Amino acid sequence: MSQISEAPGNHGSLENDNAGGEGSGPLLPPPSVINLTEKSLAIRLRRDALARHTVTFGGMAVICSILAILFVIVAEVYPLFKKPTSRHLLAFNLPKDAGKPLATAVDEYRETAVIFTTSGALMADLKKGTIIKRASIPGIGGTSVVSASSSGKDSFILGLANGRAVTVRAQFNVSYPQDGQRKVEPEIDAGEPVVVDESGAPLNLTHSVEGERGLVIVAATGPDELTLLTVKKSKSLVDDGKTQTVATRLSIPIEGVISELELDSRGEEALAGTSKGEVVRLNIGDDGSLQIAEMIKAVSSQNARITVLGNLLGDRTLIVGDSNGGVSSWQIVKDKSNQLRLAKIHDFTPHSRAVTAFSPSLRNKGFVTADESGEVFVRYGTSGETLLRADSAQGPVVTLTMAPKSDGIVCVDEKGSLHHIEVVNPHPEITIATLFKKMWYEGYEKPEYVWQSTGGTDDFEPKLSLVPLIFGTLKGTLYAMLFAIPLSLLAALYTSQFMHPSVRSFVKPAVEVMAALPSVVLGFIAGLWLAPIMEKATPGFFLLPIVAPAMILAAAFAWKTLAPLRLRSRIMSGMEIVILVPTLIAAGILSFWMGGLLEWSFLGGDYRQWVREAMGLTYDQRNSLVVGLAMGFAVIPIIFTITEDSLANIPPHLRAGSLALGATPWQTAIRVILPAASPGIFSAIMIGFGRAVGETMIVLMATGNTPVMDWSVFNGFRALSANIAVELPEAPEQGTLYRVLFLAALLLFMMTFFVNTLAEIVRLRLRKRYSSL
Amino acid sequence: MSSNKPNMTPENASPQYIPGSAGGENEKKPGVRISSGNRADNSTPGSKILGEPIMEVRGLNLSYSGKQALKNINIAFLKNRITALIGPSGCGKSTLLRCLNRMNDLVDGVEITGETLFGGRNIYQPFIHVSELRKTVGMVFQKSNPFPKSIFENVAYGPRIHGVKNQSDLGGLVERSLKAAALWEEVRDRLHDSALGLSGGQQQRLCIARALAVEPEVLLMDEPCSALDPIATAKIEDLMGDLKDKYTIIIVTHNMQQAARVSDFTGFMLMGELVEFGVTTKLFQNPDDKRTIDYITGRFG
Ligand SMILES: Nc1ncnc2c1ncn2[C@@H]1O[C@H](COP(=O)(O)OP(=O)(O)OP(=O)(O)O)[C@@H](O)[C@H]1O
Ligand SMILES: [Mg+2]
Repeated sequence: MSQISEAPGNHGSLENDNAGGEGSGPLLPPPSVINLTEKSLAIRLRRDALARHTVTFGGMAVICSILAILFVIVAEVYPLFKKPTSRHLLAFNLPKDAGKPLATAVDEYRETAVIFTTSGALMADLKKGTIIKRASIPGIGGTSVVSASSSGKDSFILGLANGRAVTVRAQFNVSYPQDGQRKVEPEIDAGEPVVVDESGAPLNLTHSVEGERGLVIVAATGPDELTLLTVKKSKSLVDDGKTQTVATRLSIPIEGVISELELDSRGEEALAGTSKGEVVRLNIGDDGSLQIAEMIKAVSSQNARITVLGNLLGDRTLIVGDSNGGVSSWQIVKDKSNQLRLAKIHDFTPHSRAVTAFSPSLRNKGFVTADESGEVFVRYGTSGETLLRADSAQGPVVTLTMAPKSDGIVCVDEKGSLHHIEVVNPHPEITIATLFKKMWYEGYEKPEYVWQSTGGTDDFEPKLSLVPLIFGTLKGTLYAMLFAIPLSLLAALYTSQFMHPSVRSFVKPAVEVMAALPSVVLGFIAGLWLAPIMEKATPGFFLLPIVAPAMILAAAFAWKTLAPLRLRSRIMSGMEIVILVPTLIAAGILSFWMGGLLEWSFLGGDYRQWVREAMGLTYDQRNSLVVGLAMGFAVIPIIFTITEDSLANIPPHLRAGSLALGATPWQTAIRVILPAASPGIFSAIMIGFGRAVGETMIVLMATGNTPVMDWSVFNGFRALSANIAVELPEAPEQGTLYRVLFLAALLLFMMTFFVNTLAEIVRLRLRKRYSSL
Repeated sequence: MSSNKPNMTPENASPQYIPGSAGGENEKKPGVRISSGNRADNSTPGSKILGEPIMEVRGLNLSYSGKQALKNINIAFLKNRITALIGPSGCGKSTLLRCLNRMNDLVDGVEITGETLFGGRNIYQPFIHVSELRKTVGMVFQKSNPFPKSIFENVAYGPRIHGVKNQSDLGGLVERSLKAAALWEEVRDRLHDSALGLSGGQQQRLCIARALAVEPEVLLMDEPCSALDPIATAKIEDLMGDLKDKYTIIIVTHNMQQAARVSDFTGFMLMGELVEFGVTTKLFQNPDDKRTIDYITGRFG
């Protein structure tokens, strides 16, 4: 260090000159300036090692953090695909003298259950396996209960031996008496018995709902006879509390006998299953009338009887179980003649014996079914999949209840033992099929790919197909690349091969600055400024690719023929841009003007209407065209810079070799430079592609984010990335949606990873081919 | 041009008729005399005409961004003869060579004055089609520069860009060119392998074949053997002898033996000037200029 600071001094340098030159020159060899001491060597080696280790550490750190991110994502996604499990927690025998069990209600915490039997009710402790207390049904006197059916959460209707029916409710009072210890106290609550069958015959099959129409009861009062009873409390002030009862009887033309009943929760529709495997759908009028809407064979085998009929949450999917073990789901769909008909949606994995019991989930479209052999299946309506075969009872299952949180099953078998099964199945709605296949959702006329994560109601069926989002991502990327690739490749070719170096020296940095524009700014401009302009100028925009090249050719021709030689030679080759830029501006103005003209003369004055009528497309203001432009704008600088670099880095002797053979610069560029630069161009395109796939803000702001699936440029779309941004605030942590969003992130990751890996492999291949340049 | 002139061998040439000479003293530009063979000077009995000039440079000055690299060059290149340009590094040999097919156009900031005639026309006139000129005046570079394509495609490249599409025409042309470049035997079995897999000498001969494939009239060679071993060099030198019948060759070389061996005429350049130009044997055995003597006897350079 000190030597360097002394060097500028005259004295020092003179001395050195003397020493090296004349003085000691002839006698001694000049002292070597390079001193390779042991020490300096060691220092160099140490620095080298340090640098090597730092670089290695940095590289490893990058790889590790990427792996860590990947790990986090996978860890969040994994539970979606984890197989559901069940655990048989407890089994105990109900007292033999308590009567035959008919129905069961379970509290939210699965601590207690109420079992309705032929002779009353039992309250059981599900943790300890004991009977807390026994109760009789109030108000039914000495008659016994012959049937029970669920009419919603914790509510039941009991059919009595004397032709009457009574609604009962299990109530679970939760209290925290001492230091946060929860205590659940079950209790039952019964309504007034109502006469359903005047003849007093036992009501073996009955069903009810309570809603706006009052209490609606439907019962089988004969082999083919249904009785409908509407009990309405009048609300007028005068005769408050008086009830008004309407009864209707209807014989239905069926073979066999009525074997099962179901009512929807609004009391507008009744369903009856028969011993010959038919389902009869009946409409209930406002006035309490019954009318057959449809009869349909609902089992696949000939002599199966319908044993289970039940709606899933929301009453839009009907589950039919039969005596052969078949389980299927049905929806009311418009058929070809615009008639509403039941249509089979899924056949579930069948039971090996007759289906005996069914219970829907109160949270989602899941349900459980059980059979004569004691097997219990957990299934999901949307996907039609059987998720789990739960550890189960030994004999025919007589009552089956899915716990309110869908996290457990309580069932009682014919021998009177109660089983408490825990089910771990937090994401029943997600399977590979629901994510990636067409699903027949409730209210749809055919299977479709739909993304709709939330709806207004509790019984909403989540539609979590990722296909529309992947489609959206690809659509946006495609349009962006369609716009960006030709422009940026041609621009790079022109800049590197034809443009005058002095122009190039400011064009290139200028384009690179474009890359520094934050995408939120681009998205903002695209959504708020470009979209309305494009809405006005779309026909002109479509004319631009025709008008601009034509104008440029015309200008070039005019320049060649009209411009005086002196002026021409003043403008160096490579400075064509001086003429090109005004030409382009003129072409832009001309094509937008012509676009307006075109719209007036051929498209009936409003191209949007024309698009709608002639092409059958809808027009969104924030459409794929706008996104393609904005995202193209984001991608162009990347592709341009990398391509330009790789073109400019082609050794000049290749270009010279081609030109020396008499090739024109254009021939040279196309036949020699471009192929030789292809590795770089390829990776430029791939990097641009990766950027477009992952781009979020532009697609978020410049489209309407509707997850539609069609290729129209006049429509928007929803990309995977934008979807994450849109939905994350609404996704409760650890919930299904939350994990599906992570899955979307994983997909994005994999897409970009795949593209980049492919790019790298191809690039290396190509580079090997052109390596010894 | 005119075909009625007798062809003279270089050995018969006498110093007065050296086709071109350097320096400002000779304002009569002997090159002009030879090219315009109808002039009185040439028709005088007893005058010995060395051949028909195909290219001529008259009063050529060239500067790279203001730095002069060629000073008043006057030289003529005779048809079907090999002309060698020698001189120390940086004297402007390559520059002069590049002027002959306008490869200097690629360099930014070149300024050229004077005339460069090919077939009697100044090639720097604006209406001259550069790619046509370069097709006729081919060039082989010091460093072999095959394209990253197959051997076949390398040779076929030139004909293709000039519009030959017929595959069998191309095949014939490729074979002829490779044979002319004495490469055919070595590569006939692997025509479709990458040219980059050839040895350095083979690559250089491939570049010669590539240049021949466009059927030029003049072949400019800038130190074609500088990167080659003696065997490959010998091959290329033999090749030049063979090519002489059909082509006019102008070669830049640092190897004085090579210049003496292969060329008919030699020009010696120094610091942008053409110091001396004449029949090779004369220039090497009995040079006029002291600087030439110094150079060829190895006193500098
Ligand atoms: N592209 C260029 N830009 C600027 N100066 C150049 C360029 N090419 C050559 N020169 C200069 O012109 C002069 C002549 O160069 P030239 O390449 O013709 O020499 P040369 O005789 O071929 O030398 P060598 O034997 O080393 O190849 C040199 O001073 C060189 O620095
Ligand atoms: Mg040179």
